Amino acid sequence: MAALMNEEGGVASRLQAAAATEDLWCLALGLFQVWMFVVVFLIMLPAMFGLSLGVTGVYIQVLVRVLEWATLRIQRGRREQPSVPVPLPNGIIERVGGSMEEEVGQLRRSQSLAGGKFALSDAFYFYKKGLESIVDDQVTQRFSSEELASWNLLTRTNHNFRYISLRLTIIWGLGVFVRYCVLFPLRITLAIIGLSWLVIGTVLVGFLPESSVKSWLSELVHLTCYRICARGLSATVHYHNRENKPQKGGICVANHTTPIDVVILANDGCYAMVGQVHGGLMGVIQRSMVRACPHVWFERSEMKDRHAVTSRLRAHVAAKTKLPILIFPEGTCINNTSVMMFKKGSFEIGGTIYPVTIKYDPRFGDAFWNSAKHNMVSYLLRMMTSWAIVVNVWYLPPMTIQDDEDAAQFANRVKSAIAHQGGLLDLAWDGGLKREKVKDSYKEEQQKMYSSIIAGQNAASSPKPTEEQ
Amino acid sequence: MGALQSSPGQPEYVDLAEKTGFSFEQIGVLHKRFKQLSHNEETLRRDHFNKIPDLACNPIRSQIIEAFFDRRNFCKNGDGTVEEIGFEEFLVVMSHFRPPSLHMTEEQRESLRREKLRFLFNMHDTDNDGTITLEEYRHVVEELLSLSGALGKDTAKSIADAAMLEVASISMGHMEPDEFYEGITFEHFLKLLNGFEIESRMNIRFLKMDTTTLCK
Repeated sequence: MAALMNEEGGVASRLQAAAATEDLWCLALGLFQVWMFVVVFLIMLPAMFGLSLGVTGVYIQVLVRVLEWATLRIQRGRREQPSVPVPLPNGIIERVGGSMEEEVGQLRRSQSLAGGKFALSDAFYFYKKGLESIVDDQVTQRFSSEELASWNLLTRTNHNFRYISLRLTIIWGLGVFVRYCVLFPLRITLAIIGLSWLVIGTVLVGFLPESSVKSWLSELVHLTCYRICARGLSATVHYHNRENKPQKGGICVANHTTPIDVVILANDGCYAMVGQVHGGLMGVIQRSMVRACPHVWFERSEMKDRHAVTSRLRAHVAAKTKLPILIFPEGTCINNTSVMMFKKGSFEIGGTIYPVTIKYDPRFGDAFWNSAKHNMVSYLLRMMTSWAIVVNVWYLPPMTIQDDEDAAQFANRVKSAIAHQGGLLDLAWDGGLKREKVKDSYKEEQQKMYSSIIAGQNAASSPKPTEEQ
Repeated sequence: MGALQSSPGQPEYVDLAEKTGFSFEQIGVLHKRFKQLSHNEETLRRDHFNKIPDLACNPIRSQIIEAFFDRRNFCKNGDGTVEEIGFEEFLVVMSHFRPPSLHMTEEQRESLRREKLRFLFNMHDTDNDGTITLEEYRHVVEELLSLSGALGKDTAKSIADAAMLEVASISMGHMEPDEFYEGITFEHFLKLLNGFEIESRMNIRFLKMDTTTLCK
């Protein structure tokens, strides 16, 4: 009797457990359905048509208020406990003095030296310059993330800021929760939807024969996909001067901060991408994209042959009906505080150049991809767990090469225009210095300058080796 | 994710500040620079310095870089070179370029001047024998002058020789026909640069940092 009761009791509890799990499943399914509804109808569909429900705008405004409050609290906290300050944009140390001629000339005059002679004090100019460049130089800082003047409540940007107050820590904790548990799943879902839509859509369009319908459809597919991806990063982009948007048969040139630049620009127009053929997921995406409209993908071996690259790009541009090419002439990611040397290869192709400036707002997330520090996947995860990505994109008026300048000068002209528009520092250094050393020709320039100073002061009398005893 | 970071240890900075004379703020800034140059490692090596583009263009960079690894600059009677340096040594070498503070007595100013000149002397006296020989002197001249272009190799050599003779005549006065000039000793060096305002010319001034900037 007791055994039977026990058995019944066991069955009953098992049934209860089964019912409970079924309930749980129903609940989970229901939640999932609600979730998908939210994602698809409130985010994806409006994104595809370029509309906005205004939620992101409100979110950004709330965020700005919170960050301003946080800044004030941090300042108050700092006055009580002084900490290391952030370097200003013009550097850590005072750099006075003029060019080499002026400085060395001054040194020599104070010693009343005649021309053609060397004095040990001449070397002091170089010692001082050398020390100055060890303490602070313009290039090394461009390959790591920009430091913020005040903390924006992300642990990853927290370099100097210590515990200030309980309220700040609570807000920070809330921020972590919101970013990781609410925003991150949303963004991942959108990204997955966006990318799969890109692959499927372009493959489908690829089956159509070449016609204007096909190009129109492929543009639609590309645009909608990139818009979904942009929402997947909570990207708010402000486009300025849209009348200068790149036209077909042109070349669009922009400063490079992150691979996301492509998503930001393609959100507003269709471009033909240029790049190396990759394997894996990227390769799948590349192969399907090229079915719908002509992008230019190079094999690794082809990239070495500059001539082949240039001729292929030239052929693409010459066919005036093809989409504008998107090129990043810096060749590598720079941290969005400056624009480094533009490689002249892109400017030798010919055609009209449409310069574009992209400036990220560093308060909401650090968009710079430090490829030495993070690989692509961890970089994307960081992007998806930032507050948001707020970007300003300026379309600059088109430029063409003038008769009296060569490709390098033209490249510099375009670079200055882009730097000027975005308020970025215009540097002549090569972004390739991230990984390589300085070319030897630069080293000899200073030697030549100094030699000509000595020789120049030497114009009156030529040095004769005198034998004095 | 982890908790909020703690600032660099204040007690360490107190020691360093006393030893080198920099303020806490300046030490913090230089520490950041040290970490940037060493890519967040504990020590700096010569190839870290070689990666600075501005420095790579400097004709006498090898002397400047060697000065950071020269034991004579770390402590009074050091000798020889090291392969890598920590932050303390970096700071000690940088402290030779501190500008004179306003509240210095004549004596302190004089000793600061001597210290800076000693540092510069060591940079040239590579074999640590107490004199800058003709070879070492010529080496500096040749590094500064370009071997191509305005001056040829022979001219460079003759400039170096003429300069050395000039130095000899200043230091030794009149020399006998068969006297041999060994090189510039530290005392000669001081005499040579008597009128030279080294305190004002060989220093690095830090900009005033503004710690309060709004996150707009």
